[in-house]
Amino acid sequence: MPASRFTQTGNYRTRYAQDQTIFATSAEQLSLIVLVLVLLALPLLLPKTLLRDVNLIMIYAVAVIGLNVTTGYTGLINIGQAAFMGVGAYATALAATRLNLPFFVAIPLGGVAAALIGTFVGLPSLRLKYLYLAVATLAFQIIFEWTVGHLPLLQQGGAISLPAVQVFGIRDTFLNHNRFWYYLILPVLVLMALLWRNVLRTKYGRALIAVRDNDRAAAAMGIHPGVAKLTAFLLGSFYAGVAGGLFAYFQKAVVIEDYGLHISVQLLAMAIVGGLGSLPGAFLGPLFIVALDRGMEVLSQWLGGQNLFPEGVDVATALRPLAFGLTIVLFLMFEPRGLANWWRLSRMYFKKWPYKF
Amino acid sequence: MKKALALSALVSLSLAAAQKTVTLAWSGAITGPTSDAGASYAAGVEDYCKYANAQNMLPGVRLNCVVRDDQYNNANTQRNFEDFVGNLNTPIFLSYSTGSNLQLKGVIEETKVPTLPASYHIGLIDAPNNSYMFLPVSSYSENIVALLEYVAKKDRGAKVALVVNPSPFGRDPVVDARKAADRLGLKIVDVQEVGGNNLDNAAMLRRFESQGVKYVINQNTAGPVANILKDAKRLGLLGKMQFMGAHYTGGEDLTKLAGDAAENFIWATSYYMYDEGDRPGIQLVKKIGAQYGRKADTIRSVHYTSGMLAAAIAVEAMKRAKTDISAAGLYKGLTSMNGSRAFNPGFTVGPVTFSTKDHVGAESLRLLQADKTGNFKAITGGQRSQMFQLVHPLR
Repeated sequence: MPASRFTQTGNYRTRYAQDQTIFATSAEQLSLIVLVLVLLALPLLLPKTLLRDVNLIMIYAVAVIGLNVTTGYTGLINIGQAAFMGVGAYATALAATRLNLPFFVAIPLGGVAAALIGTFVGLPSLRLKYLYLAVATLAFQIIFEWTVGHLPLLQQGGAISLPAVQVFGIRDTFLNHNRFWYYLILPVLVLMALLWRNVLRTKYGRALIAVRDNDRAAAAMGIHPGVAKLTAFLLGSFYAGVAGGLFAYFQKAVVIEDYGLHISVQLLAMAIVGGLGSLPGAFLGPLFIVALDRGMEVLSQWLGGQNLFPEGVDVATALRPLAFGLTIVLFLMFEPRGLANWWRLSRMYFKKWPYKF
Repeated sequence: MKKALALSALVSLSLAAAQKTVTLAWSGAITGPTSDAGASYAAGVEDYCKYANAQNMLPGVRLNCVVRDDQYNNANTQRNFEDFVGNLNTPIFLSYSTGSNLQLKGVIEETKVPTLPASYHIGLIDAPNNSYMFLPVSSYSENIVALLEYVAKKDRGAKVALVVNPSPFGRDPVVDARKAADRLGLKIVDVQEVGGNNLDNAAMLRRFESQGVKYVINQNTAGPVANILKDAKRLGLLGKMQFMGAHYTGGEDLTKLAGDAAENFIWATSYYMYDEGDRPGIQLVKKIGAQYGRKADTIRSVHYTSGMLAAAIAVEAMKRAKTDISAAGLYKGLTSMNGSRAFNPGFTVGPVTFSTKDHVGAESLRLLQADKTGNFKAITGGQRSQMFQLVHPLR
């Protein structure tokens, strides 16, 4: 047993079960509980428009956890995560409007639909790797957009409006929309993160990491790389499908433009900036990219108002994509492990404080 | 003297305090896809709003002119809508893209905030949730059907191809076009989707040629159409096929991008052109554009006029609402624009008319053709499509 349950002064683990605990100390457990409590109180502190951004961050975080499952933890490059989100969104919309299912059934169904399609799309991963697999998933993104655009059932990519949701007698209205959905998205995100954290502790989760590190070595250890890769696609697209369902309800209607290639690229950027193969990274990435976008919006508006540039030169046109592209390049060059590494370093610093080493 | 100054300052202060501030806000693509049209549209809204303040069009009311970039991103549009309606209490929403407006239909119905989109997608005023959406001018569908009527008059039985944008904006008029073509005795032999990344249209144009297509009708933005026209010129097809298009295909943007390949392009729109200087609306466009230091290209753009029209309709609705400048008051103001009380700011070929049942503003449109100099000249007078009423009855 360690000297204190609140400080980690050495490795006192003597059993595998101890090695698999989620929290190393009670302090970590307590800090997470405090964080969740703060998150529960957040809607009371934030203005409505900022709360909308927080909701978007949380929805993207669900999708990025999924992307991390396939790309970060299993090493399968996926440039079609937005299409899986789209499958989930359209399936949710059909379940809600055609089958009149309530949202708490329609959203998981969207996840299941995306998981099924994702597993099928993952089949090429049995043969393809790296850039080749990336192109295969990119092809799915294009096929998805084309298919939706030509299916009368899906309004040819036009809008499918979702019914208003009611929980415990509280109805989702214009006035409470962001707060209402915050309290629905937050538990889903926590549950999905816990689910993945627990999958990682199982032999199935470890098998994915083994396949990423060296699939031949993994096969030699008795892991079936094909099954592991398909599991990764199944899980990753399930997460995307749930995120798509949440996004559909949050946006009140499904429109094809919300699930285009640019969103897939954005999700990939979030995963990279956050830190591939890291759970905290799946939260930090979306937070950073959404905050960067908002920051650039404010900055370009301010610069635009300063009359520094001639009429017709739109600062925002240059600033926003520039900041987005530059961030990714800089992270790839100087911090390929993403913000998750900064988070790790900060934690280490405080853990070892006042000692330097 | 000091007393007089103090008194006048006091009077000015009390007058300022009595002035009510109303937000006139627009959300659209100043950057991102379709920003070529959106940036000019935004300038039109902003300038007309400033002009209304300068002219004291609404005595006792100062307009807070807000123009916000949503990057053609639906989530951003929703955020802007929430901010405008929830925080800034704007009584009318000036919006932009098809996707975001389709997505917002339910919320607009819930909040009862009249909305004037820059998208003329007919689905926006189709049921359900269509009580508060008002199209400033005739729809894309009506543009396309009017072009088909023109073809049918000239060349009954002709083979027609539709080239549409791969989006709800592009696809929507196809159903109505097919129905109209059937009634008009035209054959739509092909419907192709072409987006902004169409670098080479040779295969598509050759296929049209082999199918005997004589008329190519576009529902797109100017960029992809310009590329098609340049390819058609390169292949020597400009004389063999007549290229035509709905509102967002034509105007200054097209001639700028396509150059002389745009010659003879036939375009359907409800707006007057920049070179029609005798029109009071166009005179106003030039005056306001010069007053606020806009570049010549911006002022010449039909989208600058479109932005002004949207803002002018909103300001007129406020005028009619008198003391009740609220969403409900503006709805009443908008729906009073009919009969002898129709609103005619002079930007469009006919007056803007709305009622509780009529949600299309300037219903008249003209067909115009690009000449050698790249200017579009009217080849018809102001008209309405007869067939459109039959293939797409509204309410």
